[in-house]
Amino acid sequence: MSEVIIPKDELASFVGRLLESYEVFAPVARGGMYLFERISAADEADLSYKNTRLSPKGAFLPQSERMFEFTVAPGKEESGILKEAPKEFRERVLLGLRPCDAQAFKLVDVNFITKEYTDPWWARRREKAILVGLGCNEPRSTCFCTSTGGGPFSEKGLDVLLYDLGESFLARAVTEKGEQIVSFCSGKAPGESLKSKARELEAAARAKIRKSLPVDKLKEKDLLELFNGKFWEKIEFACINCGTCTFVCPTCWCFDIQDEVYKNDGDRLRNWDSCMFPIFTLHGSGHNPRAQKVQRVRQRFMHKLKYYVDKYGNGVACVGCGRCVVSCPVNIDIRRVMEVMTAEVCEREE
Amino acid sequence: MKEYIPKIREIARKLLEEEKVDAVLGFRKGTIPMMNEPFMARSASDVDLLYWDSNCGINLANYLHKRKEKIAVVAKGCDTRNIVNHIVENQVKRDQLYIIGIPCRGMIDRRQILAMFEGREIEEVDEDAENVIIKGDGLSETIPRVEVLQENCSICIHHNPVIYDEMVDEPVEEPDHVDRYDDIKAIEEMDPEERYQYFRDIFSPCIRCYACRNSCPLCYCPTCFVDESRPQWVGKSIDITDVMTFHFLRAFHCAGRCTDCGSCERACPVGIPMRLLTKKLEKDIRELYGYEAGMSLDERPPLDTYRPDDPEFFIK
Amino acid sequence: MKDWEPKIVAFLCNWCSYGAADLAGVSRFQYPPYIRVIRIPCTGRLNPKFVLAAFRHGADGVWISGCHPGDCHYLEGNYYARRRFALLKSLLEYMGIEPERIHFSWVSSAEAGKFVEVVSEVTETVKKVGPLKYFMKKRPEVE
Repeated sequence: MSEVIIPKDELASFVGRLLESYEVFAPVARGGMYLFERISAADEADLSYKNTRLSPKGAFLPQSERMFEFTVAPGKEESGILKEAPKEFRERVLLGLRPCDAQAFKLVDVNFITKEYTDPWWARRREKAILVGLGCNEPRSTCFCTSTGGGPFSEKGLDVLLYDLGESFLARAVTEKGEQIVSFCSGKAPGESLKSKARELEAAARAKIRKSLPVDKLKEKDLLELFNGKFWEKIEFACINCGTCTFVCPTCWCFDIQDEVYKNDGDRLRNWDSCMFPIFTLHGSGHNPRAQKVQRVRQRFMHKLKYYVDKYGNGVACVGCGRCVVSCPVNIDIRRVMEVMTAEVCEREE
Repeated sequence: MKEYIPKIREIARKLLEEEKVDAVLGFRKGTIPMMNEPFMARSASDVDLLYWDSNCGINLANYLHKRKEKIAVVAKGCDTRNIVNHIVENQVKRDQLYIIGIPCRGMIDRRQILAMFEGREIEEVDEDAENVIIKGDGLSETIPRVEVLQENCSICIHHNPVIYDEMVDEPVEEPDHVDRYDDIKAIEEMDPEERYQYFRDIFSPCIRCYACRNSCPLCYCPTCFVDESRPQWVGKSIDITDVMTFHFLRAFHCAGRCTDCGSCERACPVGIPMRLLTKKLEKDIRELYGYEAGMSLDERPPLDTYRPDDPEFFIK
Repeated sequence: MKDWEPKIVAFLCNWCSYGAADLAGVSRFQYPPYIRVIRIPCTGRLNPKFVLAAFRHGADGVWISGCHPGDCHYLEGNYYARRRFALLKSLLEYMGIEPERIHFSWVSSAEAGKFVEVVSEVTETVKKVGPLKYFMKKRPEVE
């Protein structure tokens, strides 16, 4: 696949050209943090970021989305009938997302695009998206992507991978779609010295990720043994049952559907939901199968690290971005949880 | 404040060994800089995990309500005021608690430090009596701690526990002449339109994760108004009217009870200064009813009592 | 805007202001027709959520009226309510609701005259400030 060099002073004009043909999402500085947002001008994109506070999943699964519209006005023919909310699904480029986040989209695809059902909103946005990743020269101390099947320069799920070489970016097309994007760059092909610099950066970045977690062991572990583990009570103690970890997570996909009515018109919305909330599992009868905090905390970690593993055979539903580690108000650290869960495996093996 | 650790452990060990309490509620050292994890030591072997420094901003009173066992709790000034609230509101009994008082010198504003060094990796944050020392790759900076305190700590007037069974050290000096309401007064000066826009901007990043609500020791309702569905008082999307309705009512439920411990702001993943609402209520209550939350076991909260001659200038 | 008529939600205590409305009616008093009355058992029953809900549904003004201090049917409900209202009004204004939109009064069941005066005053003030600008729940601006 082709490779080109984009000098940094030409980045803005490159983004400008992208904006002519695509909707562009990119990291944007927003008051002390970065968010992944739709941009309207080339200079909004800031590729000097480390990572965004929230994952870029909102580009495919917005926190709140209008699915259907309806009217209940008396006497109207369409009254009481749900109509899909009209929307334009333009080709979109996600520029500069981190490789872990691209990998996350692949993990989430198995939920929204199955043999039986396809979520039209997720699928249409995914189809029309081109993912231009930016390798991580300096992974954060909370990063552990190398343990979860990725890496700071992993190409999984990406169409183009960018290397930040200091003065310029090296762009490598990974897929046919990616070639399209690379063709927007007017730059030259990289010489051997830049290529080897890219390889060095990649090796150096991998070496910087110190944390190595034995997540493979989760496959072998007996599900019920984990489920009934005594350790959950220790893990859950500090948890305040907010939705922060699930909302910042790139692989948490749960949503809630709500109807809202304003006089005679209404919308059917879907909003991010969180298994941390007691109301998430509350039945109409009043019964709640996950009424206790410990059950909810266990659910989140078991889903990511065991149920998903067993159901899809696709590895863990965690990409090691470290967002929940950074944002949890009470320092519940998924790395520590992984250690506890896998340690239990070790104990059994002995 | 790390110098309190040996004393905290000593008290905890004694209490657990003598079976005076079933557990000791405190913090253990976090896995990342400037974070510690609320932790319950249940046996003498857990005691050495107990930890204390200027990153213990989460309010431990939040872990006390409806508990049955006898608990020792490591509590700084604001935590003890929330414990007073809890006792007054019948969430926990005084004789169930053994309060290990911390003379608090203020908590470090993690968000501010992260923003100061945005783009550089902070690997360790240490502290001494005067300074905060930040280390990371190519980083070694010493900053006076007063410059990086949480905003609520920098205007705190109750650093010392108001109720305790044992102190870990001598009380710290309380400041006189602190104007707690500078920012509130500035907002009051605005006209309604400006105020609305101001708060709209402040609340627009909200992701409705409810970390502010859940980290708050005052929020212990079995069903929060946001989860009520018949009728539904507030929508669940990130529509700005719903977001502002949520924050309005959340703050209002804290009226006369909020101790300005700052847990809500500390917990918020997107940095919303929601204390601007609770502090406004605090100011009003102080001016109208001369009440300060969590200072006395013998006083009813201001919205749970009245005086026949309460101000009614706004009533026709 | 010429044809705009204010919508005012009036929460009236069953034991006094609601009776005053009745008395005003049987006495054939005239007053502006823009209030929508909701009868409540006592001003002490008025949850701040109700006021927010009124605004969310597009009320241009809210008026809450109960018994004079000392006259509460339940002895002290209005005393508690008075503290709540003071804070509620202040916080609403602080977040951008104009002071002209939120009103409180004490009107006994004998005070049909005062009832009419207050309705007129409330209507005038709300009319002056115009339709509600914020806190009205509209179709959300989401994707």
